[in-house]
Amino acid sequence: MPLTSRTRLINPRLGTYFGIFTSAFVGLFMLLLILEQLGTPRDLLSIAMLAGPILLYSAIGIATFTREPYEYFAAGRRVPAMYTGLALSLSAMGATGLVAITGAFFLAGFDILCLMLGGLAGFVVMAVLLAPFLRKFGAFTIPTYLGRRFDSRSLRLLAAALLAVPMILMLAAELRIGALAAAVLSGQSMSLTLLLLVVAIIATVTLGGMRSLAWSSVAEAIAALLALLVPVAIVAVLVTYLPLPQLTTGPLLRSLVRRELAQGLPIAEPPAFAFQLPGEGLSAIAKPFATPFVTVGSGAFVAATLTIMAGIAAAPWLLPRVASTPGVYEARKSLGWATLLFGVIMLTIASVAVFMRDFLMDIVVARDAAPLPSWVGELANMGFASVDNRAPQLGMTSFAFQRDAVLFSLPVAAGMPVVLLHLALAGAIAAALAAAGAVVVTLGHVLAEDVVAGLSWQPVEPQQRMLIARLSIAGAAALGGLVATLAPTDPLKLMLWSLALTGSTAFPVLVLSIWWKRLNTFGATAGLSTGFAVATLAILAGEAGILGWDGALAGIFGIPSATLAAVTASLATPVPSRLLLELVHEIRVPGGHIVYDHEMRMLRMKRRQR
Amino acid sequence: MIELKERKPYWRHTKWQMIASLAPFLLVIVVLPLYAESLNVHKFLGFPLGYFLAAHGLFFIAVVTVASFVNRQDVIDHWHGAHEDH
Repeated sequence: MPLTSRTRLINPRLGTYFGIFTSAFVGLFMLLLILEQLGTPRDLLSIAMLAGPILLYSAIGIATFTREPYEYFAAGRRVPAMYTGLALSLSAMGATGLVAITGAFFLAGFDILCLMLGGLAGFVVMAVLLAPFLRKFGAFTIPTYLGRRFDSRSLRLLAAALLAVPMILMLAAELRIGALAAAVLSGQSMSLTLLLLVVAIIATVTLGGMRSLAWSSVAEAIAALLALLVPVAIVAVLVTYLPLPQLTTGPLLRSLVRRELAQGLPIAEPPAFAFQLPGEGLSAIAKPFATPFVTVGSGAFVAATLTIMAGIAAAPWLLPRVASTPGVYEARKSLGWATLLFGVIMLTIASVAVFMRDFLMDIVVARDAAPLPSWVGELANMGFASVDNRAPQLGMTSFAFQRDAVLFSLPVAAGMPVVLLHLALAGAIAAALAAAGAVVVTLGHVLAEDVVAGLSWQPVEPQQRMLIARLSIAGAAALGGLVATLAPTDPLKLMLWSLALTGSTAFPVLVLSIWWKRLNTFGATAGLSTGFAVATLAILAGEAGILGWDGALAGIFGIPSATLAAVTASLATPVPSRLLLELVHEIRVPGGHIVYDHEMRMLRMKRRQR
Repeated sequence: MIELKERKPYWRHTKWQMIASLAPFLLVIVVLPLYAESLNVHKFLGFPLGYFLAAHGLFFIAVVTVASFVNRQDVIDHWHGAHEDH
């Protein structure tokens, strides 16, 4: 397997396969568009838009069935850079990013940029500091890497236990937003659609593990990107005559800024560490779009950027994806693609917010012309928005929008056919499946490899190993569904907490484990536990209002204290053994064999000799 | 495969490349948004300049940073013979 040339490993027909998927997805959309014009009932259209793509993803996941551990845990290490980058950017963004951040952007404008900039910086930091080395090491999960890197089984278990917490939070956030989108699309209750999503994830990823995840999430990412870009591009053509919303919203924004000044939206300077994100449910527009630092203080902006950066860079559900690229060079390149696509999504989301604000501003300015346009009534009927008619004059603040529905309001506000609304909803579901699938597979692999089979370094027999992994993945998906129903918290908050926890727990130790060879087992243990404890305390204190800081900024306490703890504990204890130092030297050089695969081969050979 | 005596210079080179890639990028991403308010007075393509630089500008800088890192680190790998065999 690893002996053959890297380029020969890549399937030359990948482009064809995903071309077929894309045409099937576009074809379904076109067909529904035609059927809508022919007067097909709306229920039928929405069921087709919900079930069609999910069946396609599941078909891809089932078709990539495998019994080979190397395929199951690392997708055979032959996912090319662009495909990895595509899946990485969409899994990092997730449905929470697409849906909740668009809404927050619409309501609070500039201040929400900190969430997106954090993700963007996270990919850059991951590319430079972590990804190439983790690819060279080749471990299937982050706890396995830490355990082998420090030759400590207890560290492996500790890392698995601590990192499971942010993963479960993330999973709950993604499933909740995905279930919400599916509920709006199908008209069923949220608990039913949640169950549907969990079943879809289990069907998609249990049979092929990372291999199924890699290829099905590429398909999901393509669907989500199309569903995001197409409605916005159509609106852009209608409004600005160019299908490039990311660049052409400028003049629109300019007049928006001028008109917002006349509306008298609040522009008070907040305390430097205020962090007021729009919550779930209906909320009014908080501030002028382009004015910085009204709901989020300047200090909190920087703190949130850095916290999210560390969280994305060390995310245990994103990093192992890099291990499935064909080589170290491709691992770096895949992060380049991820940065590019993440940025495109960020700018598109920003333009959705500008278009929605512009539509709203048109109503407010033209208030003398008698009735409200029909789309306002439609949005109010769907529960997406509400209008306060009591005031004598309509202002920007008379409208309240549901944060998690702004992305779906755009096709309605632009007066597009209902199938485009369905497309936007299907895109959010695809993003939720991609992100939740990534977390489920990682959580399952951590459970199977590091907890159940982690007590000995000897690899379990392949047949047994597969069975444990499949059961763990299904268990992880079920657990996520359970948490999503039991913890009815704002998904955006869940995501930010999860990233703050990951950033504080894993980021300092992972970076030091590569860039500072003096770090020993004690240091790593101290770093992991201190980071986790401090971040948890900061989140709890933030929620209880003791600290006056929001829990989402926990990383700003967690990261320095974890680094400090790791460094002091390492310096106070003996220098790591020569064997471990040799291992670090090995990880730092891209050439040569994949460390983890080599070790596993050695262990197998030893056992055969016995 | 890399020679033993090449490992030290290789890692020194890599470290400098890491600093050269990350330091300016992190500096810009932390400092630039703080000046967005005063930059917003100016306009570019119709966008308020502060907003434009914080969204489009930082996106551009991030992509250029990763792209240049990938290429230059690859050159460093080949220079010291640390690259993967093809």
